[in-house]
Amino acid sequence: MASLFRAYGRGLGALLILIATLWILALILVPLGAMIEQSLWWKDSKGDITLQIDRLYNDMATLQLDASGESDAAKKAGLEAQIAQKQAEATALEAQETNPPKTYGLANFTRMSGLHFYIFIRTIIYALMVTALALVVCYPMAYAVALASGPRKAIVLTVALIVPYAINELLRVYAWLMILDYRGVINGILGWLGMVDLDNRGWIPFLENPSAVFLAMIYTYVLFMVFPMVNTLETLDRNQIEAARDLGASSFRIHRRVIIPHAKPGIAVGCIMTFMLSAGSYSVPAIMTRGQGGDWFSQLVYRQFFESNNWNMGSAYAVSLLVVCTAFILIMMRLFGVGLRDIAK
Amino acid sequence: MRGKDVRLDQVSIRFGDAVAVQPLNLTIEAGEFFSILGPSGCGKTTILRTVSGFIEPTIGRVLIGGEDMAGKGPNERPTALIFQNLALFPLMSVAENVAFGLEARGVAKAERLKRAQELLELVALGGYGDKKPSDLSGGQRQRVAIARALAVEPSVLLLDEPLSALDLKLRQHMRAELRAIQKRVGITFIYITHDQGEALAMSDRVAVMSRGQLEQVAAPDTLYAEPATPFVATFVGEQNVIRGTLRRISNGMASVDTPLGPVEGREVGTPAIGAPVLVMVRPERMTLGDGRDNRIPATLKARHLEGPSVNLECTAAGQTLTVTLANGPAVRELPDDLVLGFGRDDARVYAEGALANG
Ligand SMILES: Nc1ncnc2c1ncn2[C@@H]1O[C@H](COP(=O)(O)OP(=O)(O)OP(=O)(O)O)[C@@H](O)[C@H]1O
Ligand SMILES: [Mg+2]
Repeated sequence: MASLFRAYGRGLGALLILIATLWILALILVPLGAMIEQSLWWKDSKGDITLQIDRLYNDMATLQLDASGESDAAKKAGLEAQIAQKQAEATALEAQETNPPKTYGLANFTRMSGLHFYIFIRTIIYALMVTALALVVCYPMAYAVALASGPRKAIVLTVALIVPYAINELLRVYAWLMILDYRGVINGILGWLGMVDLDNRGWIPFLENPSAVFLAMIYTYVLFMVFPMVNTLETLDRNQIEAARDLGASSFRIHRRVIIPHAKPGIAVGCIMTFMLSAGSYSVPAIMTRGQGGDWFSQLVYRQFFESNNWNMGSAYAVSLLVVCTAFILIMMRLFGVGLRDIAK
Repeated sequence: MRGKDVRLDQVSIRFGDAVAVQPLNLTIEAGEFFSILGPSGCGKTTILRTVSGFIEPTIGRVLIGGEDMAGKGPNERPTALIFQNLALFPLMSVAENVAFGLEARGVAKAERLKRAQELLELVALGGYGDKKPSDLSGGQRQRVAIARALAVEPSVLLLDEPLSALDLKLRQHMRAELRAIQKRVGITFIYITHDQGEALAMSDRVAVMSRGQLEQVAAPDTLYAEPATPFVATFVGEQNVIRGTLRRISNGMASVDTPLGPVEGREVGTPAIGAPVLVMVRPERMTLGDGRDNRIPATLKARHLEGPSVNLECTAAGQTLTVTLANGPAVRELPDDLVLGFGRDDARVYAEGALANG
């Protein structure tokens, strides 16, 4: 902080710190804190509370009747005090009914049903598979882009990767939907070739298979895998590749011993990004499965919020996913032996 | 390890339309320490990469040990290349670096680490196997690169300006070291440099290149004493260059008319009578006073003390001439007007041609 002041002067330094603090508060701590807080409590709406209130009002009505027929002033005052007390009780219960008390605890997490837990695990496995597939697809691509000789080739490849990304994510997912649909492009071509019979619903149900979601996800998140890898690969001294070749190493060995170790931070970042995006993706599975291919966990979270209207449960689900993603980051960093410092590069 | 000879047979290399190396023939003997010397961009690296197999010659053949290397990749040739920037693997330990070539050949781990240790001892880095290259000094890294290259038992070691990143002291030390290693292992070294001192100090023979062409291939002494072209004469060592017109040649001696008066010198490559020529005299071959074959009156401009020697900067007819004399009482007090002298055999007369410095 002292160095910040020295570099930018007191006023500007303080301003920078203020902005950074606001940034961290607004973008990280507050939303996250709100979500975690939300997930840790629930409201007990006791079913019999309405009954109690009804009973109190009945009692009050009876007492009222007694009071109106009573001539002894002392007794009447006694009855009226009773009514007032019951009224107070009823008011308190009514307040509880409209705004039940919060109870804090971990029940939101432990209350996940077996089916939901199964979907949770399955989503994580799917996201891992998407990440692994994306890595396999993207590594050669990143390698080709990064080591392309001559600026022209690099430009062409970059444009080929980036231009599709100028198109909205939803449009790209819908494009895959159209390609893989029952009467989509592929089935259409197969039908035209006479290999499937569209008229008798003899199409191949691509969309009912989880791999349709995989495909669209890999396509959607390719860039997040490719770019970090390209970044690190570009910093590799090509002489190292040539030196390895000169020493007699096969291409496979050069990749395994020289290139991949160098690209590790990029691979780690790419995997983390792809995993987080696919584990948390809502639109891709929602569009691609159309309810036919089994839910992803993100769809459950959505339903908790907007269909069951149970925000606490929804938050708990979201936090669970967050915990897994964070664990994934830490595991990747450990596995690849990279620190935050390498990733920031 | 046994050295092999390297032959470039009418080799020419083009990149697109640009000719990087003009057709040239070159034979490097087995076990020789051979240097290729030339200014930046003259095609040295290109030749080295052609020998190592990263570049196929556009025309011509490369033969190593008599075997045509056409179609053989860098990993199939009996060569090892030491890169200009060394290209050590930064994520591997020093021992792993040295053992990498053996690893690529499928040598078992224990065996290759033992071999790496031997090589590290050869380059006096026995205790450094577990360190990372980044923990070493420039000179030590240099030696790791040599050990790594030697590990694959090449017949020809190719070195691309490996000392250029080191400071002067270390460079001088590494020269001796390299030469000693070459003597010890006995393989062919092809050494690239643009530092003439390096080439002269280490090599059995030196090839001087300019703009993709071979100018001269000779032993260091010959190169210095009898440069074949004006380029070599001015690129290797210092030279006083006097322009003139050739009047006559007799018995290998040329008489030249120059703005400084008539000068006689040994003719090189039979220039034509009446043609413009260049007379070259090394500063240390000039003396003060009369009594030599050639005599040039000059004015002393400056005196640069080098320690054991003194450089006198003189002008004659508007041209700068440098004389290098042994330091001593005789050169401490000098008059402004001097007479410079040199023998006929100290001057070499070339037909007009390209010089090394512009
Ligand atoms: N891959 C290439 N593509 C096109 N031109 C090249 C290529 N490599 C080298 N050249 C050209 O060939 C010529 C010789 O280059 P080279 O690298 O052999 O020079 P050098 O003598 O090693 O120079 P330096 O001392 O600076 O390393 C240069 O003009 C260079 O621009
Ligand atoms: Mg070079």
